[in-house]
Amino acid sequence: MNKIIVVDDEANIRLLYSEELAEEGYEVVTAGSTAEAIEKLQAGAFDLAVLDIKLKNESGIDLLQRLVKERHDMPVILCSAFSCYKDDFSAWLADGYVVKSGDLTELKQEIARVLAKKAQRTRAGL
Amino acid sequence: MDWECCWTKEAIALGDCPYIAEDEDELLVSRQRRVIERCCDCHLFKRDLSRFRDSNHPLAPVFSIVYGEHQRQRAQIQSLVSFLDSKTLEVRFLHELGSVLQSSVDLEEVLSVALTAITAGKGFGMNRAFLLMSDKDRDHLQGYLAIGPRNLEEASQTWNEIAYHDMDLQTLAQSFRLNKLSSERAKFHDILEQLSVPLSDTDNILIRSLTSKKPVLIEDAFHHPDVDPQFARLLGVDNFLLMPLISRNRRVGIIIADNCITHRRITEEDMRSMENFAFPVAFAIERASLYDRLQVELNRATEAGNKLKEQQELIVRMEKMALVGRITSSIAHSIRNPLMVIGGFARSMLKNTPDSDPKRDFIESIVGETRQLEGVLDEILNYSDSLFPARDFWDVNHLIESVVSDTGDALKAWNCTCRFSPSPGLPMVYIDFKQVAYCLRTIIQGDIDSAQDGGTIDISTSLTGNSVVIRIEDNNMLISQQELDTLLTPFASTQDLGNGFGLAMCRTMMERQGLPFSAVSLPAGGIMYTITLPTHKEDRS
Repeated sequence: MNKIIVVDDEANIRLLYSEELAEEGYEVVTAGSTAEAIEKLQAGAFDLAVLDIKLKNESGIDLLQRLVKERHDMPVILCSAFSCYKDDFSAWLADGYVVKSGDLTELKQEIARVLAKKAQRTRAGL
Repeated sequence: MDWECCWTKEAIALGDCPYIAEDEDELLVSRQRRVIERCCDCHLFKRDLSRFRDSNHPLAPVFSIVYGEHQRQRAQIQSLVSFLDSKTLEVRFLHELGSVLQSSVDLEEVLSVALTAITAGKGFGMNRAFLLMSDKDRDHLQGYLAIGPRNLEEASQTWNEIAYHDMDLQTLAQSFRLNKLSSERAKFHDILEQLSVPLSDTDNILIRSLTSKKPVLIEDAFHHPDVDPQFARLLGVDNFLLMPLISRNRRVGIIIADNCITHRRITEEDMRSMENFAFPVAFAIERASLYDRLQVELNRATEAGNKLKEQQELIVRMEKMALVGRITSSIAHSIRNPLMVIGGFARSMLKNTPDSDPKRDFIESIVGETRQLEGVLDEILNYSDSLFPARDFWDVNHLIESVVSDTGDALKAWNCTCRFSPSPGLPMVYIDFKQVAYCLRTIIQGDIDSAQDGGTIDISTSLTGNSVVIRIEDNNMLISQQELDTLLTPFASTQDLGNGFGLAMCRTMMERQGLPFSAVSLPAGGIMYTITLPTHKEDRS
């Protein structure tokens, strides 16, 4: 079972993601801040991270940069309320991105695509 | 002694003196006036005088001396009177000329007055005049304008015409400017073209006259050591006058005047008269030239001012849009998360709610409403995309066909007709396809919304210069220009959020790409949208 960490400062969103992604068969761990996310990431291995770009007074992009450096084997999907996240070139480091929506179909499809790609790379020994 | 003349008689009868006419009765009865005014020129008196000289009267030699002196002084006085008369005429003419020149700052009018003054019978009465102007940029003295007949026939016709109309200088000059300026320029084009001398050619007689600031009267031009034979042949006369035009030490130009038709010799007196005329003319030409330049600069400054004003207005609009962008982004972000939670949980609930559950309708409503709100949020957030256009060359007709095809369902649903008249053979346009397509779609969608049922939309393309112009005519919406301008301002109207914001966004997108976008309310109802697209990269402002 793939293990996913969801980082979002909104508790209700974390709950929604947990419910929906668990229903899809993923093991979901949530974090409400960068510090909590780092703590949980250090405590165990994850197959994928879903990050909100705007985390109260923090930036999901900063966390993304750190993860790319420290956990380059773990793909990251960025979520944002804005459609202009592409303007920050750092966001291009992410493996996928979706605009937040009550309809999680796009997010679920993106997660499946990114995990399949990761599995393919693992099989290829990259 | 038996005298022949009537000077001995107190009164005479008409016919006694051949020098007294019928209406000069006073002279018949006034001996003193008759002697002073007539006898001195009378041949009978002269014969009497001769006989008196031959007599041995002691006063005879004295009388001869006195008479001779009287005649000499009389001739002198007549000459002075004649001189004064001509000078009075000259002063009057110069006064008239000065008044006309002072009242004008139009270069062509000044030149018309100056050249007319030289050639008019009431002026200096020359047959022909050429004006050469100093061209500082080219460092040349260049033929600029000429006036005068080219042959006797033309001369007779012109002079008869002038005599018939009896016009004053100003009227003559106005007539010349209106009716003859262009034709005279064309008539003397060949000579004017050849009248070109470098200002540095100090051996040339024209430049010498200009540099020394002194007029030159040329006699026997074909054999004159200082006159270039080619120049003399060009003018075709052996006697002409060079009059430099100097204003505040600036070499304005030079006038060449001659009598090519009548061949009347130009005198030193003519030259001196023309000298008095040259200064006000030079001053007026320089003033008119400066005024012309000032006018050009003024136009340039006005144009720059207008451009600046447009830019300022654009900046204000863009600042307004930027502020709106920031506010909407902030609002959108604040709304997006709770909306997502509501929509997300509603969908979760919906999945686990059987079709028979009466609450399912409510949950479906929540899902539908949140979906719609998310659509509005997407539209608002798309605004930020307009900040980063990606441009390339596109076929504008293809673009419009594609947009019209995209809106086909909406057109069909509202029974609307969209007529597209593409101009064939248009060049590719350099645009951001996505943004222009978005604008067209927004405009067409707005037109469909306003038309409701059975409306028509006319779209056409055309090539204007280096640009392709798209015109969209919506014949359905009845709207004033003021209301239309309000629609083009984001959120200025809250009645129709979607359309209002859409049009404002269209304008911003186009303006940020430097593409002119206008929406004009038509007098008979409807709106004409015009978008101008460049066909070259460098066309974009």
